[in-house]
Amino acid sequence: MATFRLKIITSRRIFYDGPCHTLIIPALDGEKAVMAHHEEMIIAIKPGEMRIRFEENGEWEYAAVGQGFCQIANNRAMLLADLIERPEEVNANRAREALERAQERLRQKQSVQEFHMTQAAMARALVRLKETERYIQ
Amino acid sequence: MAGLREIQSRIKSIQDTRKITNAMYMISSTKMKKAKLALEATEPYFYTLQSTIARILRHLPEMEHMYFEKPEVNRTKIGLLVITGDKGLAGAYNHNILNLAQKFLDNAENHVKLFVVGELGRQYFTARNIPIEENFRYTVQSPNFNRARWISEKILDQYRDGELDEVHVIYTRMENSMQSVPEDKMLLPIERPALAHIPADVYQEEFFLIPSPEEAVDTIIPNYITGFIYGALVQAFYTVHNARMVAMEAATNNADELLRDLKIMYNRARQAAITQEITEVCSGAKAQRAKREAKNNTEHKV
Repeated sequence: MATFRLKIITSRRIFYDGPCHTLIIPALDGEKAVMAHHEEMIIAIKPGEMRIRFEENGEWEYAAVGQGFCQIANNRAMLLADLIERPEEVNANRAREALERAQERLRQKQSVQEFHMTQAAMARALVRLKETERYIQ
Repeated sequence: MAGLREIQSRIKSIQDTRKITNAMYMISSTKMKKAKLALEATEPYFYTLQSTIARILRHLPEMEHMYFEKPEVNRTKIGLLVITGDKGLAGAYNHNILNLAQKFLDNAENHVKLFVVGELGRQYFTARNIPIEENFRYTVQSPNFNRARWISEKILDQYRDGELDEVHVIYTRMENSMQSVPEDKMLLPIERPALAHIPADVYQEEFFLIPSPEEAVDTIIPNYITGFIYGALVQAFYTVHNARMVAMEAATNNADELLRDLKIMYNRARQAAITQEITEVCSGAKAQRAKREAKNNTEHKV
């Protein structure tokens, strides 16, 4: 079955570099799936859950993804994001702490800029927590 | 020739200083190893981010956006992010950065808003009564993404509000493991590359931006800025330790050389003192003997 070359780079490491069958990423207006010979496209990504299937009918692999974007051209996809973590890598306690911190900050009066930062931090924490739950099940 | 005691006290003081420089060398070499791992981990991201953004810009449809350069607009509100070290004793590292920043300020026709990362930069500008807009404290020691997010959000916020319309960053870029160069890079607005001459028969891929070009650029560019600042912080962290390691190694070597010279000087002085003492004893004994013999001779005569 047709696959495409996928390269996922985060600020900490090269997350994945190899063939891929289906990639589902959280775009700004909902999830987008990418398969082989996809149209040329640049997709902005918001914090959310990402799914990858390396082979047809293979197992879905999940990961929490931060902000970034995905560029697709010539049957190659390049995904750049500040943070990508597999469910087993997410530290649940840290994520929960980050969530609580963000919630606490949201209750306080803050500038518009701080509000945006807190909101983004909360979105990241929520996604990471969701991923840890998947791992426990 | 200097006295024995003086030479000895100099040797001792140099030995003490050498101990310090040697310890600093070892500390910065271990820290550098840590920094090197961080640098190697982010380098693919840092460079792919830049090349991908450049590629996107080449293929982007004609559009106007707040983050993009507008032709024939005189930009007057300039911001400058300077990344220096927290401490000195790192060779020319901080001087290079601050010289470049000073040159930038001297050449600027308008007031420049300064954003400073690192203690030494703050001291430098405060000592010269140059107002600092924002001082990010303690961000040099362990660069992480949250810090970079904070810095970029601060700058982007002012940019969006129209308080800034040009942003530069001055940091130290690694050329290779031995060489680093201070660099001035314009972060915002993003320069659109000049239209390249592409033969008409070459296929040009055209990208669709999802959800819409404006919204995509709205998220991708801030992301790029944050990524760039993070990369710059990591590189600065690595280069400061590299510079300190090299400087301290040179200092230790200099101390070794000085010690060797002083040792030779000390030994010579010691030898001279011994020789002098022997000569004194000998000549004294000789004089005594001559005196005795003279006395004996006179006694015999009598």
